[in-house]
Amino acid sequence: MNKILKLTVNGVAREVAAPDNAILLDVLRESCRLTGTKRGCDMGTCGCCTVLIDGENRLSCLTLAAQAAGKEITTVEALGTPNRLHPIQAAFSEIGGSQCGFCTPGFIMTTKALLDRNPDPDDKEIREAISGNLCRCTGYIKIIDAVKVAAKELAPEPARPTPPIAAPARRAK
Amino acid sequence: MLLPPFQLHEPTTVAEAVALRQLHPESDFLAGGTDLLPNYKWQLNTRPHVIGLHKVDELRAISPTKIGALATLKQMNMDGALWQEVPVVAQTAGLIASPLIRNSGTLGGNLMLENRCFFFNQSYVWRESIDFCLKAGGTACHVVPQETKCYATFSADLPGPLIALGATFELAGPSGTRRVPAVEFYKNDGIDRHAKRPDELLTFVHLPPTASQYRASYQKLRQRESWDFPELGIAVALKMKGETVEDLQIVANALECAPKLLRDIGSGLRGKKLTDAAIDEAAAAVETQVRPVKNTNLSPSYRKRMARVFTKRALLEARAGGPRRA
Repeated sequence: MNKILKLTVNGVAREVAAPDNAILLDVLRESCRLTGTKRGCDMGTCGCCTVLIDGENRLSCLTLAAQAAGKEITTVEALGTPNRLHPIQAAFSEIGGSQCGFCTPGFIMTTKALLDRNPDPDDKEIREAISGNLCRCTGYIKIIDAVKVAAKELAPEPARPTPPIAAPARRAK
Repeated sequence: MLLPPFQLHEPTTVAEAVALRQLHPESDFLAGGTDLLPNYKWQLNTRPHVIGLHKVDELRAISPTKIGALATLKQMNMDGALWQEVPVVAQTAGLIASPLIRNSGTLGGNLMLENRCFFFNQSYVWRESIDFCLKAGGTACHVVPQETKCYATFSADLPGPLIALGATFELAGPSGTRRVPAVEFYKNDGIDRHAKRPDELLTFVHLPPTASQYRASYQKLRQRESWDFPELGIAVALKMKGETVEDLQIVANALECAPKLLRDIGSGLRGKKLTDAAIDEAAAAVETQVRPVKNTNLSPSYRKRMARVFTKRALLEARAGGPRRA
């Protein structure tokens, strides 16, 4: 028997009819028609289905839709449009952090959660953060590079080098 | 993969959850869902009713002496007070699975994690093709065929350090709450796994105030460092009195059907100095006392040999003061 669930997806309040055993991933893809979120292993192993729930990256394949009711759900569709990519999407695209692209929505949402929490992560923090997302194409190096580029792009102000000790004023020749 | 049909119940208090369990004896409690839902997708011991605990907020609090069963592994790993008082607990929470799973997975879920076996954690068709094993409703164990006992491996990490530190588990049932010492909670059987009665809910973990006096360590062997179930885990908790050992608890985890407190090895070192030679001797003794079987990815003989190596690492880390927050 279906129940009416109240979900907030990408800032839009929706009412969705779903059975008790409905998985969030299915509701997003089938009922909300938001097919950017991908079904990979469906077992919590690959991270392709990553979405943000109240700002935290979570596996939508292992979350019941009912568990996400009343919370803010953000999918990759909320980030950018084909003509105007979000800086994270642009970085993945330009650097080559995406090849076949199937895992990319998951990586992008994990990157979003990471950079929202830690705008300037180091290599170790990036590797740790993406360790639940699998990519079989890139070998991860380009993904890590893309995260770094995105972090720079999203930094509130470009990091200014500390001014050197004031040099003596040059004499006019 | 489709989940089997079930009716979802969403209690908001522990009392409501326990009452629902009584009303629906054929039900499972659902916390983070990172263990139960994959098992359901594989049609492993599914139930017609599921009691979702996601609205039971009273079980989320974390303190160094009392942790709610619904505290997520991430929250435990990020908790400053836990790192201060019982760093091994915060560290171990961060060694479980991947960051994505730790965002959902809970303390209670880890403590109640279903034992795992190469012949059990497979799809329905796979399991049917070689006849169901004991744990999946069959008549024979495929790991030790002559046995009528299930040998599925205990694969949760947190019970190791919690047993070493002398924690107790609080259970809420229809007749009230009771506490069971963590060391007495688990049974060495892959099916009849623990002392929790079916109508009870694990609500809190209590750590004794003395836990902060111990230097502890948990060393985990797994195939992929980024995330995996343990192939073995060694937990030690060490209390020194001056130069000598006042108390030492060593727990061998994820090698058998339940974590194993190796009392005699720990007590044998009481009153002695924890020298390199003493550590080597204790590590060798651990290797002789563990009995892994062939139902995980790495071979039993390798895991047995590694138990020695990991005990040594754990004792060295504990002697040096225990883990520090990175």
